[in-house]
Amino acid sequence: MVGEALESPPHAVWGLPVKTYIAQRLAIALLTLFGMSLVIFLLLRLAPGDIVDVLFSTGGYVRPEERVAIMKELGLDKPIWAQYVEWLRQILTGDLGKSYRYDLPAWQIVKPLIPVTVELAILSTVFAVLLGVPTGVVSAVRQDTTLDYVLRVFSLAGLSMPSFWLGMVIILGLVAWLGWIPPVTYVPPGENFRLHAIQFLLPALAVGYRSSALMTRITRSAVLEVMREDYIRTAWAKGQSGRVVIWRHALKNAMLPVITVIGIEFAFLIGGLVVTETVFNLPGVARFLVQAILWRDYPIVQNLVMFIAIVVILSNLLVDMLYGWLDPRVRYGE
Amino acid sequence: MARFRGLTLTAGLAVLGVLALTFAPALGQTPKYGGSLNVMLREDLAQGFAIHESSTISTVWPASPCFNNLVLFDPGKPVESADTIIGELAEKWSWQDNYRNLVFFLRKGVKWHDGKPFTSKDVKFTFDMLREAPDAQAKLRINPRKDWYANVEAIEVPDPYTVAFRLRRPQPSFLVMLASGYTPVYAAHVPPASYRTGCIGTGPFKVKEWRKGEFVEYMKNPDYFVKGRPYLDGLRYVVIAERGTRTAAIQAGRLDVSFPGETSKTIAEQLKQAVPQLVITPVGTTVNDNIIMNVKKPPFDNVKVRLAVSYAIDRRALIQAVHGGGAVVGASLAPKPYGVWGLAEKNLLALPGYGKPEDMKARARKLLAEAGITPQNPLRVEMATRAIAIYVDMASFVINELKQVGIEATLKQIETAQWHAMATRGDYQIGANLTGLGVDDPDGNFYENYGCGSPRNYSQYCNEQLMKMVDQQSQELNPAKRLALVYAIQRTLEEDAARPMLDWRLDYFTVWPHVKNLVPHHNIYNFGRLQEVWRDK
Repeated sequence: MVGEALESPPHAVWGLPVKTYIAQRLAIALLTLFGMSLVIFLLLRLAPGDIVDVLFSTGGYVRPEERVAIMKELGLDKPIWAQYVEWLRQILTGDLGKSYRYDLPAWQIVKPLIPVTVELAILSTVFAVLLGVPTGVVSAVRQDTTLDYVLRVFSLAGLSMPSFWLGMVIILGLVAWLGWIPPVTYVPPGENFRLHAIQFLLPALAVGYRSSALMTRITRSAVLEVMREDYIRTAWAKGQSGRVVIWRHALKNAMLPVITVIGIEFAFLIGGLVVTETVFNLPGVARFLVQAILWRDYPIVQNLVMFIAIVVILSNLLVDMLYGWLDPRVRYGE
Repeated sequence: MARFRGLTLTAGLAVLGVLALTFAPALGQTPKYGGSLNVMLREDLAQGFAIHESSTISTVWPASPCFNNLVLFDPGKPVESADTIIGELAEKWSWQDNYRNLVFFLRKGVKWHDGKPFTSKDVKFTFDMLREAPDAQAKLRINPRKDWYANVEAIEVPDPYTVAFRLRRPQPSFLVMLASGYTPVYAAHVPPASYRTGCIGTGPFKVKEWRKGEFVEYMKNPDYFVKGRPYLDGLRYVVIAERGTRTAAIQAGRLDVSFPGETSKTIAEQLKQAVPQLVITPVGTTVNDNIIMNVKKPPFDNVKVRLAVSYAIDRRALIQAVHGGGAVVGASLAPKPYGVWGLAEKNLLALPGYGKPEDMKARARKLLAEAGITPQNPLRVEMATRAIAIYVDMASFVINELKQVGIEATLKQIETAQWHAMATRGDYQIGANLTGLGVDDPDGNFYENYGCGSPRNYSQYCNEQLMKMVDQQSQELNPAKRLALVYAIQRTLEEDAARPMLDWRLDYFTVWPHVKNLVPHHNIYNFGRLQEVWRDK
């Protein structure tokens, strides 16, 4: 199939150049973000309780007049639509508001969390790809052999084990056998790179293993499908080596679904690392987001969820662009 | 007074005896300077360093090293009472006019962390703000302990180093409340709101950095007014939300000190088995498990039904099943040796729920039958509780106990954000609750948790006769008479099933052996200053 354009590719149906296509995707992304902002805003306010109720819990008691004063101070006495418009105005002017809990600009609090989560998500994804893709290829090439069965059990185990459980097992195992655990406060790479690497390696391993299991299975089935294609048979008939046939011809064409999974997994990890960040005590976005939700700290929650939404949309966009690189039919759409 | 002192002293010595082995090495060693400690925090600071706007150990424990009180419970003595109070910002004090005036003589040369001098103006500023005096210079966003200062008529500052609290009536407990970890002095030149983001105190440590959700770091205050203190160069309070990770962190030595009230007996036993050299000290927490029943709503407006609930619950079985033995029975004040005022176990035997379990349950069934509740006409209620494990475990046990006497209770978990507000509004029938006392003191407890109309009186129980007794004990100057009154009040509360007490939780406070001179108190809120603590490593 490589080099051929026998049918109209999915992204070329509009017959639009890539630039227009990207512009369209960006427009859809903006629309999605707008929709997301509405949903986040309304869901937060539909949840029972507010920041004053939380202060009630930590303070022991909040008198009615104190409640009124706090609601006014935080602008929560205004109509919901006015609060929403105010938030949109803040976003457009680059002001993310002020954390109710910390009484500090939201951006000042959110900013240091982002690199931690992004680094962990990237490391986990890299680990998942490095482990999952070759395992899937080997499993497909050695279909129904003992090695295939072993690798399938290995990947099934990864899918069955929640990463937070694996994380906790790692922590408990380390402390029980070695009397040691990774640092419990964030070590910046510039301060001590070795400790930093250790701190991120273990959670990346715990999270990456689960993702790698998914990639193994997707890669295996995609490679198996491609291996039955005529052009692979042709490649074999031309006398090309197994390595060339598998890694250049088969894998490249089998990568489309794998790329999709990588994109989805990466996007999921940005917001889905809650428990792993909690277990390994990493100060990331997801762990902080949960605390902010419990505190009804609307500015922090709204902005963090929007950040996650942007990452999801951008990673989807990236995946779409990678399609063009991998699949010539998309390029022909130009 | 002498008899009372003797009683307190005996209790204190008993506890000290128990702890003697634990702290023997520290007592015999010369303190060393330097080093820092990593201290456990289970969540980020709830209200920053604004202790006066908070009622949680998650604020008091990590914020205490920044501040000083006028007076404080002696850090070296685990049992807290009026007899263990020492001066902090106050060099000495004097009760005058038959306990109507309390005069403090302040230390000279004390500086705030920003270099400004500390004077009596700061004291007046703080306590006028707390009692919400009409001419107070500042107002707190929330003021949860305003009632502690209800008896203060005026605060006078005749000179920069003298402060006089004029009380409306005698109140010996007032000094005790001033010694709580919840009573630091704020700086008059700093807006109270700024304590939510930073801390200008006079305390032994200055805030170096607060990385939100991660840690709070302190450095030694070189200008601290107590010469030669603190011993440590710094402190780092590390936030670890996951309990398993917290335990692993202390086991692995990433943390030197546990969080007060956090280590259960089961965890302590696991830790001791894994790391035998860990120093684990069982202490009281002044946190109790109790049942709240809304007396304004049927069926719990009927005292027979409330009593049936109290009779039905086997406290000793609960302590074994839920706490693994890590709690003790007691009425509404902590029993000895953990507290000063609580009824002893032998005095509890005559009260509902403390006899033989089968007899108690039979009594409960009889009371329910008298209230018209029979197996044919069972009582069905919702048992509300806060949706966190330490509440839910207790509630589940209680539900099972109630089932055995014919009360069908279903668990209703309430999210933390709504729990206290819901309880104050009385939007529940029956609930499983935890109550922590800032000080082990009758005034600090009775007015807050049983006073007619008090927002923390979740059961909305109101007994005017009893409140007269509470007022009487509050101004009683004879310690023996006061103790007798306090005992009588506790018995009445249990006999009315106002808020049946189930147990008082214990903490197994854990430190590594190189942490010296950190004496945990039988109250989690009042030993966080850490100026006497040193590191032997």
